[in-house]
Parts: sequence; C-alpha cells; structure tokens
Amino acid sequence: MRGAGSHDSEVPVVELCGITKRFGDITACEQVDLTLHRGRIHGILGENGAGKSTLMKGLIGLVLPDAGLIRVNGQICAIHDPLIAAELGIAMVHQHFSLVEHLTVWENVALGESGRLNSTEVRRSIEEIVDLYGLEVDYDAQVGELSVGLRQRVEIIKCLCRDPDVLVLDEPTSVLTPDESAELFSTLREVVAEKGSAVGLVSHKLDEVLSVTDEITVMRDGRVVASMLTEQVEAGHLAKAMVGREVALSSLSQGSEEPESFKRVFKQQASPLRVGVAGVVDTPVLQLEGVTGRGRGQAMPLNNLSLELYAGEIVGVAGVAGSGQRTLADLLSSLVSLDAGRVLVNGTEVLAGKPGAMAKAGVAVISEDRHDSGVVLEMSVAENLFMATPHRVARCGVINQAQAHRIAREMINEFSISCSGPEAPMWSLSGGSRQRVVLARELAASPDVLVAAQPTGGLDVGAIEYIIECFQQAVTTGMAVLWISSDLEEILSLSQRMLVMAEGRIVGEMSKAEASLEALSELMDGGSQR
Amino acid sequence: MNFVSAAGDVFSSESTYINCMLFAGLLGFAATGEWVAERSGTLNISVEAMLLNGAFAGAVGYHLFDWVGVAMCFGALGGWFIAFLQAQMSHRLTADQFVVGLTLNILVLGLTGFLDREIQPKAAFAARLEIPLLAELPWVGQALFGAPWPFYLLYGLVPLAWWLVFRTRWGLELRAAGENPQSADVSGVEVNLRRRQGIYFAGIASGLGGAYFLVTRLADFDSSAIGGRGFIAIAAVVFGGWTLWGTMAGCVLFAGALSFQLSLQGLGYEFNTELLQALPFLVTIGAMAVFARRVRAPVALAQPFIRGLK
Amino acid sequence: MSRGIRINEWLLMYVLSVVVALGVSSVVVEATGGDWWPVLEALVEGSLLAPGRWGETLGVAVPLVLVALGTVISSKAGLVNIGQEGQLLMGAAFAVYFGFLLGGPGVINLVVVMMAGALGGAVWASVAGLLRFWRGVPEVLSTLLLVVVASQAVGYGLKQQWLLLEPGADRGNRNQVSQQLASGNRVPRLDFFGNQFPVTVFVAVVLALLVAFMLARTVWGMRLRMLGHNHMAAHRVGVSATSYGLAALGVGGAFAGLAGAAMFAGGGFSFGNYQLGPGFADNIGWTGLLVALVARERVLVVPAVAFVFAGLRTGAGFVNSTGVESRITEVVQALLVLALLLPPAVVFLRTRRQARSVALLKA
Repeated sequence: MRGAGSHDSEVPVVELCGITKRFGDITACEQVDLTLHRGRIHGILGENGAGKSTLMKGLIGLVLPDAGLIRVNGQICAIHDPLIAAELGIAMVHQHFSLVEHLTVWENVALGESGRLNSTEVRRSIEEIVDLYGLEVDYDAQVGELSVGLRQRVEIIKCLCRDPDVLVLDEPTSVLTPDESAELFSTLREVVAEKGSAVGLVSHKLDEVLSVTDEITVMRDGRVVASMLTEQVEAGHLAKAMVGREVALSSLSQGSEEPESFKRVFKQQASPLRVGVAGVVDTPVLQLEGVTGRGRGQAMPLNNLSLELYAGEIVGVAGVAGSGQRTLADLLSSLVSLDAGRVLVNGTEVLAGKPGAMAKAGVAVISEDRHDSGVVLEMSVAENLFMATPHRVARCGVINQAQAHRIAREMINEFSISCSGPEAPMWSLSGGSRQRVVLARELAASPDVLVAAQPTGGLDVGAIEYIIECFQQAVTTGMAVLWISSDLEEILSLSQRMLVMAEGRIVGEMSKAEASLEALSELMDGGSQR
Repeated sequence: MNFVSAAGDVFSSESTYINCMLFAGLLGFAATGEWVAERSGTLNISVEAMLLNGAFAGAVGYHLFDWVGVAMCFGALGGWFIAFLQAQMSHRLTADQFVVGLTLNILVLGLTGFLDREIQPKAAFAARLEIPLLAELPWVGQALFGAPWPFYLLYGLVPLAWWLVFRTRWGLELRAAGENPQSADVSGVEVNLRRRQGIYFAGIASGLGGAYFLVTRLADFDSSAIGGRGFIAIAAVVFGGWTLWGTMAGCVLFAGALSFQLSLQGLGYEFNTELLQALPFLVTIGAMAVFARRVRAPVALAQPFIRGLK
Repeated sequence: MSRGIRINEWLLMYVLSVVVALGVSSVVVEATGGDWWPVLEALVEGSLLAPGRWGETLGVAVPLVLVALGTVISSKAGLVNIGQEGQLLMGAAFAVYFGFLLGGPGVINLVVVMMAGALGGAVWASVAGLLRFWRGVPEVLSTLLLVVVASQAVGYGLKQQWLLLEPGADRGNRNQVSQQLASGNRVPRLDFFGNQFPVTVFVAVVLALLVAFMLARTVWGMRLRMLGHNHMAAHRVGVSATSYGLAALGVGGAFAGLAGAAMFAGGGFSFGNYQLGPGFADNIGWTGLLVALVARERVLVVPAVAFVFAGLRTGAGFVNSTGVESRITEVVQALLVLALLLPPAVVFLRTRRQARSVALLKA
C-alpha cells in the first residue's frame, strides 16, 4: 500500500519511521510511518484524536516521541526543539497559532529568526511573499487587532519567509470560511509549484484532503490505516478507513439503545411537567435578546446576538473559530458580562457574568477547553464531580466523605469514567475520562439547558459517540441542547435546527429539512463578508 | 497654613530637587532593571535583595580598593549574584518566583547584616561632577547635572534598556516571552533563557543602584538602608504601565515622596515623622490604586512557563 | 507531582538539602573567622537542651504557627499575601488598645485582647484585599508596602497617650512603650520539668487541626481551593473571586493579628514582656511566612516546621556567646528555605530530562 512508488529514486525530504508516543496510558501514535516528498502535498487524514497533531508536533520538536526515528534528507535527526526543526527547514502553521497578539505583524514574522533585527529587511521579505502569492496584510498592525483569517495569513507568511523545505499545516481551515479555505489552498498550490516544497496537510475534512493533496495517509486511533495516491482514491473507501466502519455520524443520529446511565440519571429527575415533552412549547427555556459584550482576551465579541431555544430540541450553532462561538459559550458559563441585551432562562432574566448565575438558573455547560473552566486538575475526581452542587454531599457546610465517595463511585460506574477511584487526582485521567466527569457533573444538576461547546474536540471516536448518545437521550427528557461547533457535518447530523454564527451574531437559521453542507457554508461566507 | 507655606518653601528650594534626584537615582536604576524583567514576564520581588546586596558588595569593593569605580563594579556583580540565584531557582528549577524572591530578600538582609558586623566595610562619597552650562539651569540644574558621577550612569542605562528591549532581536524575544510564552516557544524562542537574562539585567541594574546609593547617601553600609524602597521601584513599573518613560515618571514621583522628609528637615521644618516616613509608601499605594486598572500588564506576567503545561 | 519517585529518595533529597544549607552557613561563618561547630552546639543548646529552653522554643513557635496558618489560607485561594509582619503588628496594636480600653476581669479581658488582635490583622489585610479586588492593585505589592505603613502607624500610636502609650509616663526620657498587661490578664503558663510555656500552644495546635479540617472537609474550603487552582471553573460554579478572595485575605490577616495578640498577652520575655514597644514584631511575621513556604501549604506540617524555626530563634541567644554575630541564624533560616525548595524542583526536572534523553537515545 506504500504510495508514491514513482518517487523511490529520489530521497524523501522527511521520513518518519515507527513513531510511537504515549501520554500516560493513552497512545497518541503507534508505530507510525510517513514520508513527505518534494513538490507534493501530503494529506494526513483522520478524526479528532487520531494522533495526527501529535505526529506533526513530533516532527517540529514540540513533542518528544517515545520511540521511532526521523530522517530529514536521508539523515537521522534528533528534533527535540522547534529551533532545530527550523534549522532543518521544517516550518509549521499551527492550529492555535504561534503569534504573539501584542506584537506587530512584522515583529511576529521576525520572531524565531536569527541574526540582527532589521525591521526594513523583515518588511521587505514580507512584501516579497505578499507580492508572490497575493496575501495582502498590513505589516505594522498589531496581530491582536486582526481577524482570525488574517492572523492565519500572518502565520503562513511567517512560515514562508523562512523559505522552508517542508511546510506542515495543522487543521488550517478550522478557522476559515469555505471561501478563505479555497484561497488558502490555491496559495498552497502556488507555493509547491514555485519552491518545490513538501507540504504536510493535517485535516479531518475528507473533501478538502481529496481536492488538494497528491497523496494521502489515513490515521485512526494513533495508527496508519491506509496510505495511497490521491488520484487512485475512492471517497467512500477513505471515509470507511478513517472512521473504521461504514458511515460516520448519520448512524448515530438515529438514536440507538438507551444507555443504562440515562434511565438512572434522567428518568428519576425529570420533573413530571416535562416528561414526554419532545417538541416545542410556548416559552423558550433559553432566550438571548440582542446580547452585546466583549469576549475574554482576544475572543470575538458578541454583537447584538439573539436566539431562542425550546425544551426538547437540539439546536446547532455553526461557525468557524473566531466567529464568537467561544464568547457565546463563555456568556452561558457566566464568564463574561454584557454591555447590552439580556439572557432569560425559563422566562426569568439571569445576570450575565455573576459567578455561578447561569449554573444556578439551570444552564449546564460542557466547555470548549476542559482545562480552562471545566475541571480543576489539582483536585480529586470526587471533588470535581461535586464542585457545582456540593450541597448534595454536605450538611451544614461539612462534606460527608463517605456519602461523597459512595455517590462519586456510582457516577464513575454509570458514566464509565476510568480512574483509580473517587480520590484519584483529576490530572491522572485521560482526556476522554475528564470529559465524562464534566458530563456526569453537569447532567447531575438536572439542568434545563445543556450547552456543548466543541465538546468532541481532542476526543477519540468512542468518547465522541458516547457524548452524542448522552445528548440525544437528554432531549428526550425535555432538556434543551445548544450544540456549538465548527464541525458542520457534526451539526448537520445531530441538530433539529441550525443557526449560523459569524462576526459575533447569528446570520442565518435553517431547519433540518432545508439544511445542507453547501447552504451552511454559503451562510458562513456571507456572514463574515457583511 | 504652616504646612502650605512649608510645601511652598520646599518646592522653590533647589535642595529639594537635589534630594529628589538622589532617591530617583536609586529607584531609577532598580526600576529600569525591574522593567526589563517584567517585560519578560517575571515579577521580580528580589529587587530589594539585589539593591541591598549591590550596596554591600559596593562597600566591600570600596573597602578593598578605595575607589568608587570599583565599588560600582562590585555593586553590579553583587546584584547579578542575587539575580543568578533568583533566575536559576525560579526559571530553571521552576520554584515559585515569589517564594524565591521573598526568601532571597530575607537571606540578603540577614547575610549583609551578619557580614557587615563581621567585616565592617567602609566606603566614602563619590565626587560631584558638574556638567558646564546645564548645571546652571534654575532649580533642576544642580539636581540633574551637578550630581555625584555615578548618577550619570543612569543616563546611559535607561536608553540602553529601551534600545535593548525595543530595537534588538533579544528584546523582541524577551517581549514575546512576557506576552505569550507558548507562542514564543513554538516560534523557537527560548522563553526561560530570555527570562533569566531579563532577571540578570535587573540584577546588574539594581546592583548598580545599590552601590550608587551607598556612595551618594550612606558611605557607611547599614543593612536597613534600603528598607523596602525596592518594592517602591516595582510599584513604579506598575504605575508607569510597563512603559519605560512612565516608569521613570513614577520613580521621580515616588522619589519626591521619599525625599520630602529630608527636604523639610533641611529647611528646618519639623513634622510628624511617622507620617513622613510612611508618606512614600502611602503615595505609592495611592498611585497604584488610581492607575493599576488603567494600564495593561504583560499578559504572562508572573506566570511560569513550562513547555507542554498550559 | 510525585509520579515514580520513592519515599526514601524524597527523604534522602530533603536530608541532602538541609546538609547543603548548613554547609553553606558554615562556610559563611568560617570565612569570617568564626567557628561553625560551637555555633551549631549553641543553637541546639539554646533551643532544646539547656534548662527551660524547649519550653521557650514552644512559646516562640505559637505565633509562627498562627502566622503560617493564615498564610496557608490565603495562598490556597491563590493570593500572595506577604505582609504578615504588618498585619501581626496591627493585631498587637488593636489588642493593646481594646484590651486596655474595655478592661474587664481576667479571662474575659484575655478573650477581648485576642479578638481585637484578630480584628486588627484582618482589617490590615483587608485594606490590601480591597485594593486588589476594587482597584486591581497586585496584593503582592500592597501587602508588602503596608508593612512599612503599619510600623509607622504603630510608632505614631506609641507616642500618643490616647492611643497606645502608657498613660502618665514621662515622655521625654523613656522608651515609648504601652502599659504592661496586668498579671491576672495574661495567658496562663504551664510548667513541665522546669520548661514554661503558655497554654496558647494548645490553642495553636487545635487551630492547626481546625484549619486542616476546614480546608479539606468543608464546602468553604473546597471552594477556596477551587478558586486557587482554577478561578475560571470556580467562577462558573458560583465561587466569587471577590468575596472568597477577600475572605481568604481577611482570615489570613486575622491569624497574623491573633499571633500579634498572643505575643502580647502570652509571649513573656520572648516578646516585649507583656508590653507593646518599638520593634515588637521582631520578624515573627516574616519567619511565620517562611514556615508556611517550607510546609508547602500542608497544614499539618506547619507546627513541626514552626518548632524548628522557633528553635533557630531561641538558639540565637546562645550563639552570641561563641563570638559569632547571632544574625547568622537569619542566614541559616533563609538558606534552609531555599534548600528545601530544591527537592521537588529537582524531581520535576529529572522526570522531564529522562523523557528527553530517551528521545535522544532513540535517534
């Protein structure tokens, strides 16, 4: 199955042989082989958590592999530092950027180079790149003031200025609208044509990998499961290799068997009023009226955003990263306050930004970055399970340790959290188990609204499947789910109603019947250009 | 009424400005160094120890070689030594920077106190150096251009610090380490190395400041001589909103408060000594209360950087 | 994180660091022409072995434990309070002022003194707290700067008869000290084999147990720790950084203030002899802070560390007789703290370096 047979005579730029990397008891990469050739774009395809990013981080020295070796131009190299990778001519466009927001564009481009700092020279080399590929950018602007799309452009310019032999892009389109993505890929083609560089494109999007690459390696659960030339590929076959079974998410949306945990958690706690409610009722459980407010740090602010969510429905909020999705989730986590507009839960206004106000009103959140506001790594599993509702295991402010352990053990079993017990420190758990702890905790509060912000990020397929099942069960008990994601396919297959977000507001809405990937993409493009 | 007329006298007296600049020199050396360290992301509270050790090392230097120039060099070395300990403990061994800084402050206080009594080094005042014409300026002429010669080092140090931080690759990497260490690291900047170097700069500058204070104000070393003024230098950086010029303005303001008592006494006034002693600290706290929210600190200030740990 | 390190390895490293700290101290002493062994002997003699000394050391340990407990509470909430010296002095001043103002018989007066002490410390720490949460002033700086302000304020109070100065004193020709606490109002002292110590020793131990329980087993303690570890997660589940932070600083200050009151009412000859005077705080605040740092936020380790550091103080009195300046004990103390920071750091670095060298070997 080894592809690129016609290139055997030539020495590949990069050869990764038998790379293995484990994080604790999780194997991110297992015996992975990968070869990049000059003048070719190599797609590395796989679902979230398949080990693609870890592999690439190993190549540029951010992750140290436990086993395996790396050859660059036929020479064995120990790349344990990004500086070494840079010297070898390997550059990476990072998923989360390597830009410093409070420096200007040219300063960012100059960062990490060596020699005397000469601003005119840096500016000139930026101009060259800009002229060559038509990437317009103001090199004296502060990066923090640029839009996400422009920031990625800066990131790419930064890489290209170093004239790399190998260019690695990690999920470059996750922050781009479809139009911007097309632009990026045409630039990429030009770069390969002009300089003959080797490009590694990491992605979980099948169509984009098919359309721009020359060869493809598919990864699943940390292993290479297929490797072929793009022109010989059949799409259905590729999807199967990637997911490991016939069809991806559509099978999940049919709602399989009810897991045991739900009978226990929801059936007991759903109030009589809501039992059996599966459709639309009069008052929305969650209503945002013209909310406007700044995000945390550099996040996109909310700009007169309104939406309504009714009991028993799953509503998807689609948008690229930087469209304000993060701030929306933060608002519903009480982490940001508002300049204008209001938030109503079950018809009652909730003060935004007040500690714990949203949680108290019945809004549960599975947060985008678990370590950010989801869990406390230094505390035990039991404490993480009860931190939102300590009164469940405490009397007069004193925690009943025996009771806490008993209930925690029940929850650990119900949600199949793999850990050594209630007292295990949170940091000892895998990403999937941490997410299950969050899920268990948030559902235990029997909320009216469940907000899921990119809940599948960085998780393996099994965990994702479990979470999706959980949500589908949740709505049958009358809970309303707001599914915020930048993964359009995920949203299309799961939600009954879709909202499209751009520039901090809702730019369009469609029902499941009228929705399609194309229609959603169009709305996202239109929204960000307005 | 008495107070108002006294204040009027104080502000119209040339000696006030001379006294003010004397303390502004001390704060200026320390705050310039501290500013560099903070731009790299370290809230370096051992600046107090660096000042004190600089003053003590300066005294030893003078004691041995009988020359103010040597005292200044020894001071710089003495400050750097503390910086070395701080940097290695907090930015190589990953100990908490506040814990290390605080412990160093206490260590140096005890150590210099102990060694002072055992060795009893003697220093002397540095000679004044008048710059022709400029020293003739009314009010501030003598203060700015008729000072003891080590004061003029500051005129070189401050622009040097600015140039290093804003015009060199080293400075660019240093600022990146203070603003976004993760991104800087990914870009190939050795974050903790730059931070250590920032601390070294702070150590040398503060050491000079300590030695400067020794040869302009103390002559005879005393371990209580710095008495918390290093913390005022840190506050000057906060007050200045992490800009160098704002920091210098803070130094002059706080130095004014520090020297107020001296100036009053010089003119023969007597006021509540406790209030005057506490005044610079009250002014500092008050200034921070007004300005701390209005300025933007380096994003990663006081946050340790360990690769892979976010 | 102690993954993969055995207990005896830890122990060995801690012993080594103590040896290094003492070694450096000995170099300092020898270099200045002194002898190290007599100093060490004097330290042990003066803190433990000589008649009545371990009782003395116990008495000195009391305020250290109290200060350290307060420090642990504020740092659990993620706040860096390093102004205990000032809070302690303010506590002592409040204790003196209200103790003599309200009077009352024996035990009641003692309770008043202690309460007033806690109040004074809490008020002083809350100034820093308010500045932090209302004006955004870093508490690291404000607590520090307030130490100087506190000592000047108390110095002023000691010149005013309506505040702290002993009434009827002839001002010009004597030390400015407060009235002495009447013998009936002092903390009772116990006598064990010729070793006298105040009953506050037991209070300190009980308080240590109480704080340990509060932090580990109550909702308040859990939420406080949550705030310290991850303020975002804490905010989301309803822990207000402002109210919990203010409370943590206030309680931390109250402990320091209580230490000040305990020194005043029960310190005996170790501290001012039941009088408030210049230099009363005598670095107990700073030392208590060091105790907390060495104990690394583990409450139950605090009393043991406090006893060691108290020993360095009581031993210091004997060091002078060896011809070596007694301030060497301050050096020993700080070096010990620095050295004890090393083992966890070394372990951390070693695990990282192992990972790296494995990767290098493979290539």
